[in-house]
Amino acid sequence: MATVTIQKVTKAFGDNVVLREFDAVFGEGEFITLLGPSGCGKTTMLRMIAGFERPTEGEIYFDDMLVSGGRTFVPPEKRGVGMVFQSYAVWPHMDVFENVAYPLTIRHTPKSEIKARVEKVLAIVHLSRYAERLPSQLSGGQQQRVALARALVAEPKLLLLDEPLSNLDAKLRESMRFEIKEIQQKLGINVVYVTHDQTEAMAMSDRIFLINRGVVQQCGTPEEIYNTPANQFVADFLGKVDFFKGEARDGEVVIPALGGQSIPYAGAQRGKVDAAIRPENFYFTADGPLHGTLERQYYLGDVDDCRVRIGESLVRVITNGFAFRTLKTGAAVTLGVRDMMVFPDDGLLEQMLEIST
Amino acid sequence: MRKIDRSQSRAALAVKALLLALFLLGAGLILNGRRGMREYAASGFSAESAYRAVYQLGRETARAWDKTLAPALKTLPDADRDRLAETTAALLRESWESLQKGGGAEADALLQTADGAAGEELSQKLLYASYLTAGPKLSTANRKQITAQTGEAAAELRTALLAAVLDEKAEVPEAAQKLTEKRTGTERAAMLMQAYYVSAGASEPDVMEQVNTLKKSVRDKAAQLTAFRMIARGEVSAVEQLVVGHSRTAILLGAILAFNALLLAFFMAGEGVWRLNLKWVLILLIVDFLLLFQLLPLVYMLIRALFPEGRFSLETIRRLYTYSLNLDAVKNTLIAATMTMAFGTLLAFPLAWLVGRTDLYGKKFFRGLFVLTYMVPPYVGAMAWLRLLNPNVGTVNRWLRALLRLSDAPGPLNVYTLPGMVWVLTSFYYPYAFITVSRAMEKMDPSLEEASRVSGASPLKTVFTVTLPMMLPSLISGALLVFVSAMSCYGIPSIIGSPGRVHTVTTRIVEYVSLGQQGLHDATGMAVFLMLLAVVILFLSDVVLARRQYITVSGKSVRPALVELGRWRLPLTALVSLFAVVVILIPFATILLTSFKIDVGKSVLSAGNFTLSNWKTVFARTETVNSLKNSLLFASVAATVGILIACTVSYLLQRTRIRGRKLPDFLITLGSGTPSVVIALGLIMTMKGNFGINIYNTAYIMIIAYLIKYLMMGMRTVVSAMSQIHVSLEESSQISGAGWGRTMRRITGPLIFPSIAAGWFLIFIPSFYELSMTTLLYSSTTKTIGFQLYEYWTFTSQPMSCAMAFGILLIVMLLNLILNRLTKGEFSI
Repeated sequence: MATVTIQKVTKAFGDNVVLREFDAVFGEGEFITLLGPSGCGKTTMLRMIAGFERPTEGEIYFDDMLVSGGRTFVPPEKRGVGMVFQSYAVWPHMDVFENVAYPLTIRHTPKSEIKARVEKVLAIVHLSRYAERLPSQLSGGQQQRVALARALVAEPKLLLLDEPLSNLDAKLRESMRFEIKEIQQKLGINVVYVTHDQTEAMAMSDRIFLINRGVVQQCGTPEEIYNTPANQFVADFLGKVDFFKGEARDGEVVIPALGGQSIPYAGAQRGKVDAAIRPENFYFTADGPLHGTLERQYYLGDVDDCRVRIGESLVRVITNGFAFRTLKTGAAVTLGVRDMMVFPDDGLLEQMLEIST
Repeated sequence: MRKIDRSQSRAALAVKALLLALFLLGAGLILNGRRGMREYAASGFSAESAYRAVYQLGRETARAWDKTLAPALKTLPDADRDRLAETTAALLRESWESLQKGGGAEADALLQTADGAAGEELSQKLLYASYLTAGPKLSTANRKQITAQTGEAAAELRTALLAAVLDEKAEVPEAAQKLTEKRTGTERAAMLMQAYYVSAGASEPDVMEQVNTLKKSVRDKAAQLTAFRMIARGEVSAVEQLVVGHSRTAILLGAILAFNALLLAFFMAGEGVWRLNLKWVLILLIVDFLLLFQLLPLVYMLIRALFPEGRFSLETIRRLYTYSLNLDAVKNTLIAATMTMAFGTLLAFPLAWLVGRTDLYGKKFFRGLFVLTYMVPPYVGAMAWLRLLNPNVGTVNRWLRALLRLSDAPGPLNVYTLPGMVWVLTSFYYPYAFITVSRAMEKMDPSLEEASRVSGASPLKTVFTVTLPMMLPSLISGALLVFVSAMSCYGIPSIIGSPGRVHTVTTRIVEYVSLGQQGLHDATGMAVFLMLLAVVILFLSDVVLARRQYITVSGKSVRPALVELGRWRLPLTALVSLFAVVVILIPFATILLTSFKIDVGKSVLSAGNFTLSNWKTVFARTETVNSLKNSLLFASVAATVGILIACTVSYLLQRTRIRGRKLPDFLITLGSGTPSVVIALGLIMTMKGNFGINIYNTAYIMIIAYLIKYLMMGMRTVVSAMSQIHVSLEESSQISGAGWGRTMRRITGPLIFPSIAAGWFLIFIPSFYELSMTTLLYSSTTKTIGFQLYEYWTFTSQPMSCAMAFGILLIVMLLNLILNRLTKGEFSI
């Protein structure tokens, strides 16, 4: 299989619509991430691709074969995909080898071939030495790699990953992130990856589908999503951002909450707007549009996380760590703005940012 | 999309129509059955009318043969025809005569001899033949004369006619006098019979109604013949049973059909899917089984108790509960159950805490020991305590008398009293509370207790401020479990209470049942008390469990830090050991020692009092071997069927979100909360053919009773095992390419196998030694080992029954060992 086509897929549990008209084509060899807050419907989408849930409406195709839709429904075991579960789901009554060999045993692969393939895939996930261990004798990270090996051993063209790293500690999470990406590129398979962790999504994906309350908010490459968010929610969910209500005019946006100061603006919006500025897009300068007082700063090593009082607002500014030594708490400062996102103010900002289902 | 919608809606419409049809069919059956019952009630059936009605039926049957029979009869030579008529009339006369005498068997034999198994048919043919052949026909004028008589007069006429047939000297009624003029013998009888038939066959409303009723109620031919045969035996009540039974069966069947249709419609409407799902079929199968064998008996008993004559009346209840013996029984039951609950819980909590949360010596050993009591049949304990505390020869009493230098008068302790019964009940039911509480204690997050210690509370203070309040829900549910078990116990009160005239409701019920029909009625009235009490308890425990569920703790297996007992460690261990010796070791040792005695009154060590013959004799007897075989067989079947149901219910509960999945669970819980004696009594009342099912006196009725009572134990085990297996374990097998079947076989099956095995044994063991229900349900061929033991104890020999009791204990322990091995030590009871 090369592509996954999802056409207007809607899923409802009773009256509760968890996913609305999801439309997408996942191309060959693509690393797709379904990103969103918990309960947004991303796992449901993944489970529909796997065949654990039936779409209420819409169709799913693998290449041009219909797998879900209308009266057609191919059960999970006939879809030939690999999947890693959040809980790993490593079977406690089988050792590592048996766990990984399972998909091949099901397919009646000859014994000798099973052995070769399991060894190969265990080598890929660095578990060769643990083949005879029982899952209870493995750490979380190792169990996770057993699950990954089991998903890969039958050489599926499509690999589904359901928050596979969320139960690991920070260090391991980071290294697994690159390992998974590397394996995907080496094997040239499609991956659909579900996570609520934006850093994971940014680091691994070719394309990200950002979902909230069952609706895709934006889809695009990590850069597109980060730099040109389609709406306030996207801007807020990826990275850190402060919103200011303001008035866009020719060449500037006036922001009452910042003591009525204005920020230079070259865009096309006019009238009431939401201006969104990421903390790292502020910078301290001698000659900037915003004047305020440095109220607090937290030294985090690589960066300096500051709070600057401007008018009635307390603005977050992240600047390089080295600034810590040059600035004094309580001093008057001037801020420049590197980049600003401006959205028309439709009065729904609070509602949009609210993460709930 | 539209297209799909339309075809789906068409299919949905078809399903809806099918459900409606099913419902209507059910409703129709109910109405039909009700009409049958009403018509039967209005028809005023009696022996004579039944006989006539069946004759009518027979004539209709005969009419079908008419085409072949009549020509054949006409071609007979005159002599033969006369002979046939003579034989027929004689046959008729004799059968009527014997019917009149009430010697039904003779009539039956007569009918039998006529032509073997086809006797009834033949006699009907003969009746008709006599009608066709016997002498000159009645003239139209004669006919008119006879049919002119209606109602009372006609009935009188017919009685007189029959009397005249039977006795040549009897006066012939006026209307028929012309018929018999100048006629004698067979010819006279034949004319009279003809007159009788003409009168009876005249479309007289009451007769025809009766005939129609019978025809409606008894549709198939086999049943008609049965009815005929019963009437020939003069068993009108049996006909009533048959007729009403048919109507009742129709009502029951209709109710089940309609209920199923409604339930399915409700499920489908709830899910918005109008498609038949196999899971619903499974749910309905289990629900119907339970409705039929569990709920129907309960409801029927309630109705019988409150509507004794078809009308609401509390007369029976009033009569029963004002009778002093019964009143005492109710009092005793309440007192015994309450005291047992109080003492049992007071024992269970400290024991559970010491064994579960402290560094007591030999905790594991004690835990195993206390749980072991759980699988000992209670009546075995009763036997042991009887040997120990008998006021005259009880071992303890003799020691006490020697020790305290008392006279040889009976006492000082007497087991044949209410306190004696409470003592034995407590020593056998405290494990129920112990198990409930210690399970909750194992699951409790120890950091809760640790937080209290850090805050400055002593270990003891922590017990009272944190552990006890946290354990309260499980403590209460354990206490209620003890209460229900004690109040519905039959074995202990029957062994200890009966000789001391300490009656309980259960022993009264069993006594009533042994009195026959009226007794059965009164037993029902008594059972209502137990039933209501059980419902109240179930409700209470439900409230307790629903309201206070905060004890459920972190799902991860926590290794609780143990409370150090310090200088109390040794004294407390000694105390627990003493308890174990008194409550467990001494009784079991008594049973074992008694089994080697010749004279139960003497010590086993006294000269010439030791023998192995009790063991040899008792296990060599065929009746013992047979009852042992029965027990093993019934318990295995109950456990196997039970575990299949348990697995299905668990799967539906844990792995599907289908509507209605909780219904079987609810019914099963209700069943296990119903007192054993009530279950058995209900089955007796409803499963002897009056609802179309007759399994009375068979093994089935016992197996079903065991299932209803013990299914829940097996089910809970499997449900909790399945809930601990994350769904993703199964899903990852599916995604690996394994279908449902293979996933169950390779993944789910092996993972929950220990629990399935444990569940099987949890149903098997109590069924194996069951006594309360068996006492009511056994028949001569279905005696079980528990009942055999009880009989031996009461009627034969105490040492022999002790040998048997110890044999049962050994078997149960062996089974436990097998279970332990089978599940790699994960489970034992």
